[in-house]
Amino acid sequence: MQVKEKTNFFKNIIAMRGMGQVISVSSALVMMCIVFSILNPNFFSGKNISNLLRQVVPILIIGIGQSYVLITGNIDLSIGSIVGMSCMISATLMTRGVNPWVSALIAMLCCLGMGLISGLLVSKAKLPPFIATLGTMIVARGIAQISNNNYNTDAIGEGARGFRNFFYYGQTLGLFNTVWIGLVVFIFFDFILSRTRTGRHIYAIGSNIEASKLSGVNVVFTTTIVYIISSFCAALVGLITTATGGLGTMDAGNGYELNAVAASVIGGVSTLGGQGILLGTVVGSFIWGVLNNGLQFAGAPVAIRNIVIGIVVVVAVLIDIIARTGKVKKAKE
Amino acid sequence: MEEYIVEFKHLCKEFPGVKALDDVSFNLKRGEVLALLGENGAGKSTLVKILSGIYTKDSGEFRLFGQEIHNLTPKRAQELGIAIIHQELNMCNHLTVAENIFLGREKVRFGMLSNKEMNAEAAKILGKLNIDISPETIVGELPVSKQQMVEIAKALSTNAKILIMDEPTSALTSREIEELFSIIKSLKKQGYGIIYISHRLEELEHIADRVTILRDGKFVTSMNFKDTTLQEIISHMVGRELKEKYPRISCPRGKKILEVRNLNAGKMVRNVSFDLYEGEIIGFAGLVGAGRTELTRALFGADPIDSGEIILDGKKLNIKSPIDAIKAGIVSAPEDRKREGLCIKLSIRENISLPNLDSLCNKLGVVNKKKEKELTQSIAERLRIKMPNASVNAESLSGGNQQKIVVGKWLARNSRVVIFDEPTRGIDVAAKVEIYNLMNDLKRQGIGVMFVSSEMPEILGISDRILVMCEGRITGELDINEATQDKIMEYATRFEKKEINSRTA
Repeated sequence: MQVKEKTNFFKNIIAMRGMGQVISVSSALVMMCIVFSILNPNFFSGKNISNLLRQVVPILIIGIGQSYVLITGNIDLSIGSIVGMSCMISATLMTRGVNPWVSALIAMLCCLGMGLISGLLVSKAKLPPFIATLGTMIVARGIAQISNNNYNTDAIGEGARGFRNFFYYGQTLGLFNTVWIGLVVFIFFDFILSRTRTGRHIYAIGSNIEASKLSGVNVVFTTTIVYIISSFCAALVGLITTATGGLGTMDAGNGYELNAVAASVIGGVSTLGGQGILLGTVVGSFIWGVLNNGLQFAGAPVAIRNIVIGIVVVVAVLIDIIARTGKVKKAKE
Repeated sequence: MEEYIVEFKHLCKEFPGVKALDDVSFNLKRGEVLALLGENGAGKSTLVKILSGIYTKDSGEFRLFGQEIHNLTPKRAQELGIAIIHQELNMCNHLTVAENIFLGREKVRFGMLSNKEMNAEAAKILGKLNIDISPETIVGELPVSKQQMVEIAKALSTNAKILIMDEPTSALTSREIEELFSIIKSLKKQGYGIIYISHRLEELEHIADRVTILRDGKFVTSMNFKDTTLQEIISHMVGRELKEKYPRISCPRGKKILEVRNLNAGKMVRNVSFDLYEGEIIGFAGLVGAGRTELTRALFGADPIDSGEIILDGKKLNIKSPIDAIKAGIVSAPEDRKREGLCIKLSIRENISLPNLDSLCNKLGVVNKKKEKELTQSIAERLRIKMPNASVNAESLSGGNQQKIVVGKWLARNSRVVIFDEPTRGIDVAAKVEIYNLMNDLKRQGIGVMFVSSEMPEILGISDRILVMCEGRITGELDINEATQDKIMEYATRFEKKEINSRTA
């Protein structure tokens, strides 16, 4: 009896939507780690591991935001700029003597407002998401630049020590706080997506928007919420960036929106909507992180890292498509 | 013997589960207009698709211009001179008339488009048809009737000899129809063979030389138009025996549930009024495009309502979206399962629980998985949905079982009105009966059932009352005791009179 339940448990896990891709990508991740540790025995040192974890978290967090948007069948190009906006607004306020926590809160609210605008443009005004968020991306970058009159900020100083420790330098139970933040964000948003009504609506909209409407799903509301969530994630990463550098930089988060897409699709989130789980996004962002870190350790220049990561994105999605269409053919026979 | 340019003998075509064409013989002469008639699903479009190379025949003989034809492809059909003018026009709205006419066959000189030549050629073809349009006009700026003429011109420019027109007049005004008919007549004189498909029987007298009638995939008759009457044509179209058994139950008629007054929504719902009572199933009959689906969409809040009242249990409703309709107690199983009814990438369980999440969630919006499982289980058992388990994708089920999910997801709610739009389309007989039983079940519980179907036998077999629609209006109401297929057909073709002067061109 006991044994039977156990196999059922594993069966259930494997049968979960999107788990197939997660398992195959995880094994690729394990293999990658093995290769890098052979190339460089220090790869698995405690110091490198904790560094690696801390590097991955920002990509993981915005990857989660982007995954939400992708699962509804949309895309959010603005999140890289929103990272910059959050970073610049918070740092500017701190250098002008505003309490760091209040600064962070104000920056966060501005970013959520941006997400609300993107969301309404897509859901209510029915703009193609690519165009709508291209617009908000440019605007948000502009806001980042105008925050401190087109200059990066000065150092946020000693007063912000608590803030910097909370988001980046401090440790709790032997792990960097950043890692804890990533973990909490993942658990919270995974719960929302997999267990709540809003989460279910997000999958339904991505799978078939017309059927969702006709089933009484509030499509405008849910789509808007998703953009706000993705902006929340980006704003959080912006605050981490401020804490990391100790100042605001105008081009913070540049290109992150596509890194976030990469992490999501490597992990099995479909850009066509309706498919994918956040665990996949976690593995996807780790692949991104391990490749970056491992290649850096092995002495590869940035250019090579970019080429490799670009290839990995395409190959991961290609394998997924081949696996899926292969399955469909079999089912039809 | 006269010369046939198209000749089908004993043609058969089978799709999984349906015999679309069963031993059909059909022919077309040079210089005649042949009206191809039949109800929805009689096999007209299958026949046309075989003729134009989209489908291949299973068996039978097929001759074009006296030559036996095998393995026809759409491209080959075009080369042989067959052209179709579809009901929905296939034009690139942003291109000019000439660019559309030569689309895919552009004339090129030294690698560059030679617009001059194409415009001149297009003007020549248009002139031959007496169509007064400049070849450089953007197609999207033309009225529909002119676009259609451009389409005809395009067909002729490919050297077509056989023209198939599918409901060409449905979007035209009476004046435009006149113009079209004079073009058809001149084409006829020039020796083209024309297959004319239309539900508007009254316009046939102006152009048809011969009619061929199909019914349920079988050839019924072919006769000269002069020798017959519209009455005779209608009875040939519908004249099947009703031998299938339908599980009708009778309930006493209760109080009025739904009252619809002068409802207008878009072009396809015009001044619709009807009542729905407890313990009855109202059937909505009509031809494809009569506005029945549009009516259900308007009632369900899927399309905006322009004017009119919807009164449920004495209370006036203000329905702006499906959310409002569902809250009020009106639910709908839409016509197109894959497009509107199912999230095919989600599991059966998720599909069934989607509209019921309000009752399956706690205050924080967390889904109670146990309740969800129980709900799915009870609905799957009630409808006998055949599935390996409720976690598999809805996509993997058969059509009948998918349909049961589309319907079943509404059963957990206390609805007052359930709309079924073509619920039995494309599903097997056993599943059909289960859907009928379900409708009867709802009727017994005092829930109002609206049943839209294009299949007359089932409408006659299940409904207590039949409303017939045509062009967005309700053109007739029949009690089940007086309803016959002929009467339904008569109401379904009661188009608004378009005065056509039968002027010979």
